[in-house]
Order: sequence, then C-alpha cells, then structure tokens
Amino acid sequence: MNEKKLAEPIVRLEKVHKHFGKLHVLKGIDFSVQEKEVVVIIGASGSGKSTLLRCINYLEVAEQGKVFLEGKHVHPTKGDINHVRREIGMVFQNFNLFPHMTVLGNVIEAPIRVRGMKKEEATILAKDLIAKVGLSDKLDVYPRMLSGGQKQRVAIARALAMSPKVMLFDEPTSALDPELVGEVIAVMKELADEGMTMIVVTHEMWFAKEAADRVIYMDEGLIVEEGKPEEIFTNPREERTKAFLKQILKD
Amino acid sequence: MPDLFRYIPYFLPAAWMTLVITSFGILIGLLIGFPISLARLSKNKAAELAAKAYIGFIRGTPLLLQLFFIYFGLVRLIRLDPLPSAALALGIHNGAYIAEIFRGAIQSVDKGQIEAGRALGMSKAQTLRRIILPQAFRRALPPLGNQFIIALKDSSLASTISIRELVLTSRQLASSNYMMMEMLMLAAVFYLIMTGALSFIVHRIEYKMSVGERAV
Repeated sequence: MNEKKLAEPIVRLEKVHKHFGKLHVLKGIDFSVQEKEVVVIIGASGSGKSTLLRCINYLEVAEQGKVFLEGKHVHPTKGDINHVRREIGMVFQNFNLFPHMTVLGNVIEAPIRVRGMKKEEATILAKDLIAKVGLSDKLDVYPRMLSGGQKQRVAIARALAMSPKVMLFDEPTSALDPELVGEVIAVMKELADEGMTMIVVTHEMWFAKEAADRVIYMDEGLIVEEGKPEEIFTNPREERTKAFLKQILKD
Repeated sequence: MPDLFRYIPYFLPAAWMTLVITSFGILIGLLIGFPISLARLSKNKAAELAAKAYIGFIRGTPLLLQLFFIYFGLVRLIRLDPLPSAALALGIHNGAYIAEIFRGAIQSVDKGQIEAGRALGMSKAQTLRRIILPQAFRRALPPLGNQFIIALKDSSLASTISIRELVLTSRQLASSNYMMMEMLMLAAVFYLIMTGALSFIVHRIEYKMSVGERAV
C-alpha cells in the first residue's frame, strides 16, 4: 500500500470548482485514485458526487482547477478530449444503450469507430465481455427487450470493450428495480476483484463494504471525510457523515 | 357514369405531371431541409441565424406567392420554365418544413445518447452520424410522410402557372364538356390514389426501420 502511494495516481483532481449558473456545485475538490483502487463516493443528492465523476471524463468541464489522467493534464477545449475519454469507461444511471443497435452492436461500436479495430476482432472481444456479464444468449437482441439489470450489464460490457484504465459508475443501480440490483453489483464486484480501477457513486452499502478500498463522503460540494469502509461505516468522525449514514442505513 | 371512364386517359398524363412536380419538390426539399436543420442546431451563430431567417421567411409567406415570385418575379434575372419553377418553389417551400421536422427529431433524441457516445471517445461527428441521426431519422418518418402528402396536394398550385397537372386538366376538360363536378371528382380520385399509395410506402419504411423499437 505504501508503495502505491508513491506511484502516479491514475486520476487526480486539483482544486476543482464547478458552477451550474449560480449554484456552486464543486467547491475545490482535491482527489486522487491509484491504480487498482476501488473508491466509493457517497453523499446526499446535490452534494456534487455525480458532477465530480463527470468532471473526470470532461462530460462536465471544471472552470477552475485541473484534472489529470496518469499525470497528464488535457486542456478541456484545446486538448484532445476524445483521446482521454477512450481511456475512461463510464456507466450511467440510465444505461444509455444505443436502442437502434443490438447488444453486440452496442459493444463493438466504439472499438471499431474509436480504436479502429477490425469488425471480426471487435466481435471476438465483445462476445467475451458479453459472456463475462452473463448475457451470451442476448447477443442479437435489441436493448428494448432487456430488463434494467441486463441493460446495465451490457452497458458495463460496452465500457469494458475500450479496455479502459479506469471505470466510472454513476449511480449504476439507482434506476433498477430492487430485485435487479444484485446482478449488477455482482458484476461490479467481480471487476473490482480482478483489479479494475473503479470510482463508484452509489448508495449500495454492501458494495462499499465488500469491494471498496476507500469510501468518500461528500456534502455541499466538498469532500467531508474519507477512509477505509470499516472506519467510515463504524466510526465516522464527522457529525455530517454520522447523520447521513444513519439516514441511509435506516432505509 | 360509365361515360366518365373515357376521360381517364386524359387524366393519366396529368397525374404523371403531379407526380413529377411532387417528387422533385420533395427531393429538393430534403436536400435543403437536412443541412438547414443542422445549421439551425449549430453552435455557429451565423449559420443558426441564416437557417432561422430562411425558415421564418418561407413559413411566413404563402406557397402561391413563392411560386409566382420564382416564375414571374425572377424573369429579369432568370427565365425558368413552368415545370422547374414549380418543382423549385415546392422544394424551397418544403425545405423549411422538413428542416423543422429534422430539427425536432434530432432534439428529441435523449441527451444521454450523446453523452454515451462521447464518453466512449467518439467524436462529435461520429456521435451524430452513428448514434443520433439513425434514431432521429426514424422519428422523423411519420411527420415526413405527412409533409410529403401536403406537398403532393400543394403541387396543385402549379396549375396557376399553366402546368397541366390534375387540377388544371379537370378544369380544362370541364370547360368543354360542362361536367365540372364530375371532372373535379375524377381529379379527387387520382389524388386519393396517390396520397394513399404515398402513406402506404411511408408506413412500410417506418415498419422496416423500427428495429429495436418493436417486439421481435
């Protein structure tokens, strides 16, 4: 662990600020994630946790501060953002699968268009990943025919097809019926066990306890507290963290 | 009644003329409408403004006026025959409406689709071409079909610049046989056959393109 601390973090945010109109959503975030680390971000809605995640792959552009990927900073307008984005996988709350493409089509799209992979090659890769998320029987099915949990597993496979250096999960189970949450969390846990670097915004405490190396609690655009999951969950230092956890664990 | 059948041969070339004007009108309309819709959505202010001006001007004035403007009004600049004048007027007119149809369809695609494409590292152009437009075209089809039917009926205005399409033909026949009502009814039958065929074709295309949205 000490060795890792010295290595260049995969993702690093330096004093990042973000406004939406008058709303100050991120108030100077310093944050970094090491290779193979699994970080879970928790916090009430409006605390800025999704915005933080979206700043990492420039879906939101930080007005102040810098975002680094493997130590390199890319200018959000002058730099090649597409080049950064292809190294960062993202899984959305609402899946955002391409409805006019089959499951296989969804997964091979970016490797072919962005990485310039041959179709045959991309198909082999995609079939592997779709098998990994347990949907080999759905290759030629359109997203409309899938359950929410299946959609999200396809979305994970689609992101993995770009062989990302880090995976971002933006409330991946929030739009799912309760009985479908488990299958998605299981895939995420497997990824974490394989050593994927992951940053996950979620309220799934089970995942945080089982898979996270570090839990971050955010409130009002700031990181209030961070630590190992057992520390945060059993012995939070900050009053705000205590109140939030009490609220969450009650549900 | 059987007497009327002998007028059908006179109506066939007229129906063909209606079809020709409409087809070129729609084709020109699509060629104008698609780029205008992109300009209308562009971040480039000049392009957006030009598209808005075009749409506003065309939608705010009658097709008949536009037709006269091209056929009579431009005489000093360029002398166009009736047929190209009619096709051009219909095309320019429909271009504005088709642009708005495409714009609405493009805007109706969920923002999350753009984000998903961009997050995978696809460029703006790739995301537009591969993700947004295929979904938008499908959604544009029903209103486009509607617009095509309107164009077909609007082609009757070409009768005012002496094109012998269905309306002018029926009136000319009536002036010699004094059966105005019958001749207009015959013209109506031809219109109904053509609009019916058009909506059938659009429905077929709609169905063929609805993969992913219909149950397999």
